Amino acid sequence: MTNAAFNLVLFDHAVSAMPVDVLSELRKTAAARFTESGFPTTRHEDWRYTNMARAISLSNDWLANADVSPHPTTGPARSIQSAIDAHWIVIRNGGIESDDLSLPSGVSASLLSDNDSAASFEQIAIDDPLAQLNAALLIDGLKVSIAPGSIVDKPIGFLIDDYAGGDAVVAQSRVLIDVQAGATVQFIEAHISTGDGEHYANNVVQIDLQKNTTVDYLRIQQRARHHINTNNLLVELAAGATFRHCAFDFGGALIRNDITARMQGRNSNVEMNGLYLAGDQQHIDNHTRVDHLVGPSNSNEEYRGILNGKSRCVFNGKAIVHRGADETDANQQNHNLLLSKEAEIDTKPELEIYADEVKCSHGATVGQLDETALFYLRTRGLDLDEATRLITRAFAAKILSLLTVDAAHEYVSGAIDERLDDLIGGSGDE
Amino acid sequence: MLEIKNLKASIDGKSILNGIDLSVSAGEVHAIMGPNGSGKSTLAQVIAGHSDYEVTDGSVSFLGEDLLQLEPEERARLGFFLGFQYPVEIPGVNNAYLLKAALNAKRKFQGETEIDAFEFLKLAKEKMKLLDMDTSFLNRGVNEGFSGGEKKRNEILQMAVLEPKLAMLDETDSGLDIDALKSVAKGINALRSDDRAIVLITHYQRLLDYVQPDFVHVLSGGRIVRSGDKSLALELEEKGYDWLQEAAIA
Repeated sequence: MTNAAFNLVLFDHAVSAMPVDVLSELRKTAAARFTESGFPTTRHEDWRYTNMARAISLSNDWLANADVSPHPTTGPARSIQSAIDAHWIVIRNGGIESDDLSLPSGVSASLLSDNDSAASFEQIAIDDPLAQLNAALLIDGLKVSIAPGSIVDKPIGFLIDDYAGGDAVVAQSRVLIDVQAGATVQFIEAHISTGDGEHYANNVVQIDLQKNTTVDYLRIQQRARHHINTNNLLVELAAGATFRHCAFDFGGALIRNDITARMQGRNSNVEMNGLYLAGDQQHIDNHTRVDHLVGPSNSNEEYRGILNGKSRCVFNGKAIVHRGADETDANQQNHNLLLSKEAEIDTKPELEIYADEVKCSHGATVGQLDETALFYLRTRGLDLDEATRLITRAFAAKILSLLTVDAAHEYVSGAIDERLDDLIGGSGDE
Repeated sequence: MLEIKNLKASIDGKSILNGIDLSVSAGEVHAIMGPNGSGKSTLAQVIAGHSDYEVTDGSVSFLGEDLLQLEPEERARLGFFLGFQYPVEIPGVNNAYLLKAALNAKRKFQGETEIDAFEFLKLAKEKMKLLDMDTSFLNRGVNEGFSGGEKKRNEILQMAVLEPKLAMLDETDSGLDIDALKSVAKGINALRSDDRAIVLITHYQRLLDYVQPDFVHVLSGGRIVRSGDKSLALELEEKGYDWLQEAAIA
């Protein structure tokens, strides 16, 4: 396959046309690094199954347009905003709707272009090509701080509401979250995209959990079926911190999620769960990595997928127990249900253990619908679609049961039903 | 109600049913007995519509419909119920949800309105009481982690809620202790009525002490080799099946 090369001349031009502000130096540094690395290719082990060719050609188209500034940051309210009771902050094509950041006590938000925030941006920049691309072309980012000991009343939601009407659009968004000692807070990262044009959203979220904090984090992705989205999530955990992550991928043409959790403190806990429901030619790739740097520390991970059509999904979960991280407990599971012969899953749970006294387990399964169960349900009067829906719903429900952001439970449950209806021949889009 | 004529069926090219003739009328209870491998369970699966079996000859009519042309769910909605020998565990699918969905599928087919949650719960609890079942069963996954006896009771519960025209119960008595057997028999007897037929498939006559059949048939080598009244079951209990198999070959 001959892939179009990323147009570095246009890229340089775009970077130099970015606003002159406190982020300028960071953009230039990131641009230089990205120029060296380029987009990841399938020659990289971590990108073997995910080809970014379309994102590259789409980016070239976008760069060829003189105007790379964000689209107007206004748009209709989305149903998720009324369905889930949360403090919503809207980000449209990378532009942050910052006029009305009415946040509860204990929570403060600011733009990265403010002097104070820039320093922390540099501190925890991610060494990843797509995170560098994000930094190089970032108009502005958001920083959210949770004051020490705060218990935030309801979730803080980031609604990433992207749009491409005609020409191709590439959008970068970046959110830095600082959860200070003893705070308890929940976040929702919701992705929606609309419009007939091509769209590539490249997002980065960095979360710093200080001592004895508890963070519940939901990511729900319902992008248009022809759009591309890559996400980088970096989580740092201090002693006694707990991070519970649950992700739901329903939309998009090509989705790639990279999550890295670095367990720096003793008695820290990571829960990382996810569900992907893919049909047609959808491609959804989840790469997760948990670094147990000290012990005792616990990580638990379960991803499940239901695949139909010619969809292809990838799961790669890596748990690394570093030297000295004794008394670590790490568990990873990935289970998949393939509804069509042409769907494909590449799954690889990995463990690397360099410490003693650890309890680690991992497993992966790939299966078809249980014919015996289908027949049993049909003998009870349910037709094939109903029976299929019931079995797949039950399979997916396991991940829903792990969602700890209660305010979003009903919405996510409805979204699962809706996606499954679609997948199993409701709307005929498969 | 059910007319089976010269029914032949095979699986993977291997012939299992070799010409079954059976007529069941409303109000009757039939028992089909026979040794292992005689085709009892195959008969049940074929009548229910399992796609692994190929019907190579014969006909089955149920309430005047050509049963073999119908999908499994259509047979169910029409009023056929199969109690499975090995009820299937479906983790995560709520027992009450399935019961209600099954009942509503049938009601919808019959042009009735769907049952509401309150009415359904009332009905389910009433049937569970009859079967000495704890109502906590409703909130468990379908047969998930159930003991053998619990699974069989659950089959009878489904039957009791769905009130089929024809129930075929495949080895519902196997693996039951005496208390469970009595409960299951109570459930079956409660369903006996003039407009309903029951076919019990069993290896032993034990269940027939509690549910008295009007007719007993012996299946051997994929054919019904003898039919009689309930005394035939007692004869089989005493003599075993060998003499009939020998008679069939001769």
